[in-house]
Amino acid sequence: MIQMQISSEFPPISQPMVFRLRTIIPKDPQELDNCDAVLISEEDHFSEFDLQGFSIRLKLENVHDFDGDVILAVPGRKSVHRLVRSQSKHNTFLVTEQCDQKCVMCSQPPKKHHQDLFDCFLDAVRLAPIGATIGISGGEPMLHKDRLFHFLIKSQKLRPDVRFHILTNGQHFTSGDQRTLSLLDLRSILWGIPIYSADAEIHDRIVAKTGAHEVLLQNLAFLGSVGGLIELRTVLLRSNVQGLASLADHITTFQPFAHYWAIMQLENIGYGRMNWAGEFYDNSVAFDPIAKSIDLATARGIPPSLFNFPLCTVPDDYRPNCFASISDWKQKFIHECRGCALRSTCGGFFEWYPEDNGFSRIAAQ
Amino acid sequence: MKIWPLQFRSIDSSHMVFTDDTGKFFKASTKFLERYATENLSVDDTIFLQQNGHAFLNFDDFQFVGFASRWINRVSPVGDLKYVILVPTLRCDLKCDYCQVSRVAKKARGFDWSEATLRQVISFLSNLSPTEVKIEFQGGEPLLRLDILKTIRSFCRQRFKQAEFVVCTNLQEVSDEAWEFLSADDTQISTSFDGTNHHHQKRRTISDTQQESFEENLGLALARFGSEKVSALPTIDPLDPPEPSELISNYASKGFRTIFLRKVNFQGFARKKYSFEGADRHWEAFYRQFIEELITYNMTADKPVEEFYLSHILRRIVRSGHHNHVDLRNPNWLGKDYVVIDHDGKLYPTDEARMISRVGQIDLSVGDLENGLDAETLHSLNSEASNFDDPDCVHCVYKPYCGPDVVDDLSRYGRIDLPRHETDHCQRHMFLFDLAFELIFSENLAVQKSLANWLDISEFNQRLAPVLS
Repeated sequence: MIQMQISSEFPPISQPMVFRLRTIIPKDPQELDNCDAVLISEEDHFSEFDLQGFSIRLKLENVHDFDGDVILAVPGRKSVHRLVRSQSKHNTFLVTEQCDQKCVMCSQPPKKHHQDLFDCFLDAVRLAPIGATIGISGGEPMLHKDRLFHFLIKSQKLRPDVRFHILTNGQHFTSGDQRTLSLLDLRSILWGIPIYSADAEIHDRIVAKTGAHEVLLQNLAFLGSVGGLIELRTVLLRSNVQGLASLADHITTFQPFAHYWAIMQLENIGYGRMNWAGEFYDNSVAFDPIAKSIDLATARGIPPSLFNFPLCTVPDDYRPNCFASISDWKQKFIHECRGCALRSTCGGFFEWYPEDNGFSRIAAQ
Repeated sequence: MKIWPLQFRSIDSSHMVFTDDTGKFFKASTKFLERYATENLSVDDTIFLQQNGHAFLNFDDFQFVGFASRWINRVSPVGDLKYVILVPTLRCDLKCDYCQVSRVAKKARGFDWSEATLRQVISFLSNLSPTEVKIEFQGGEPLLRLDILKTIRSFCRQRFKQAEFVVCTNLQEVSDEAWEFLSADDTQISTSFDGTNHHHQKRRTISDTQQESFEENLGLALARFGSEKVSALPTIDPLDPPEPSELISNYASKGFRTIFLRKVNFQGFARKKYSFEGADRHWEAFYRQFIEELITYNMTADKPVEEFYLSHILRRIVRSGHHNHVDLRNPNWLGKDYVVIDHDGKLYPTDEARMISRVGQIDLSVGDLENGLDAETLHSLNSEASNFDDPDCVHCVYKPYCGPDVVDDLSRYGRIDLPRHETDHCQRHMFLFDLAFELIFSENLAVQKSLANWLDISEFNQRLAPVLS
């Protein structure tokens, strides 16, 4: 598992702050940013960096793997957080832990408290590698929509090369947002929005919010008509699997502007763990409802991507739809994977996948 | 609830197919038509119409926006010019019975690009704005001017980020140097093979020696490069077609997965030579039999085969946004995303336009290398590029999937304002669309197996053929 938190010895700070690690000092001092912490020495397991004359000591295994990383430090916490890993494609800013839905599969159940870190995020975007894609997640990031839009506008001014992938429940757009959205380069923002069912009652039950489906459809239509790039996301559950083909029908009919449709296997964490017994659908024994949905949506021009599906649980014909989607820092392979020829293209399992209570057919290929 | 206008057409004695402007379709009984026309829809009717995307409640609601978006996807956008068909020579070493391109003898003079023309072509290509280009070498037989092909290819490779090349050759005489040229990864081979050696020899190669040399070269090309890189098209004489099953197995055994049946065209020398009285009926009978044989073949085949144009039509019916084939799209913009440069430096909007002009019937050139594209001519051709407001097409159930062919109309009738149903283009496509819907609503498993393959999916899905019962 990849290290996300780093033990540190840090001067006292009163505000959250970000800095970038530089283990190789650039020849041109102009390339150094005020927020760059430059490696001074390595001893034992600690590496010492200089940030504007202050010393920062970080416990790092192989310090040069961290060159270019953007680090977030929060007052009162001993460890610091790797906000942007320069070598990774999976960098996400957690905007808030608040949420107005309570989805049965939520991997990060909501909390009431909110700490605004947008100023730090803006610094982090400025320091991010060229052409980076930054995930924006929560909780529900759009609960702080004004701050979020402000952050996006400023980010795009500073760094037009950076792309964003914003995960939102789609509940908080209003027609009044059209002006703000027109200030953004919408081609470099992908909105990942969940839709669980074509049936309003089932969707509302899954997200635990009455009326959510109706608002969702209206807002998808709004975002689609202003030209937003949309990725629809459907977590596979026992409560929606039988309606998956209807959902494929619905999406291709009413959201044909969607650029992607991701069908995702359940993650055994948060509420997902709590509801695992009732909601985990074992596609390794019965793939048919998913197959039908893929066929329908593909024929109509929106070929779905399968996320978090180990390749051996998917019939051959549908493996081209699978993406090795599990972020590197939470991915694992299990003992059945030993000797599997597909391992290099397979997404494997979540770190917290319960081997004794998961797919019944896992086999090296 | 407001219902978007529906067009309809009988598909059997008691059923009709209905479509809206976005191409969403369904099958229903003639009784539904009565209810629809007299505004007596049942509750089930209205639920069905809403779920299938044919209705909306309020302006800008999700059903309205879904419809608008599907409609927009049906419109083929004007693309940048990045597909150029080049005719460096009209000379050819064969004299095929039905030559469509009005060739001249191998030794004729004055039918090749001059040095000056070549320079102008290069200057034309260097002024294209996209970073990628596709060049198709046509003729005549382009391999007779391998020197020009080499010059153009080297230039494009250096000028564009991505450049692809297709050489349309009869594979009659291929020198070592030509084989070397054809072996490049960015270069594809397109040839003609009329389905059986007998038919091919009768119409094209004539002599045993020539036929043997073609067979040898086609075999060599496939052995060296595989069917990924080599494609072939059969030209069919409706009055003397090959046996469909024989054509299919000859193509399949060579590794081809796509067969694009081409009816011998009423252009070039073919027009002078043949009288095609009743040929359309023969063609339809042959085409239908061919598709039936293909379905039977695919039932047990490891590697299923498609008829290219029928697959194109099926994809256009089932999904919007499928505009990648210039023979059928709407609007069918001319002289925008592709153009033909003839042996004399004249520019044509399509290869057909070049042929018609060559036989002296009408001048459809849209400029020349000297002066570039002629905006005025293009504008007048493109004013008829779509079927949106064609007074006949607006009533047609197949309008969303179809598209006009101004050049074909001009070539046959010298005018474009004939009642649609009297034109060859309309009749041919009505036949094809009828056939396509017959297949889509078929409950025959063999048909569904082929359909799945032609629609790029694993299994056909009943939801792709909605029925209002």
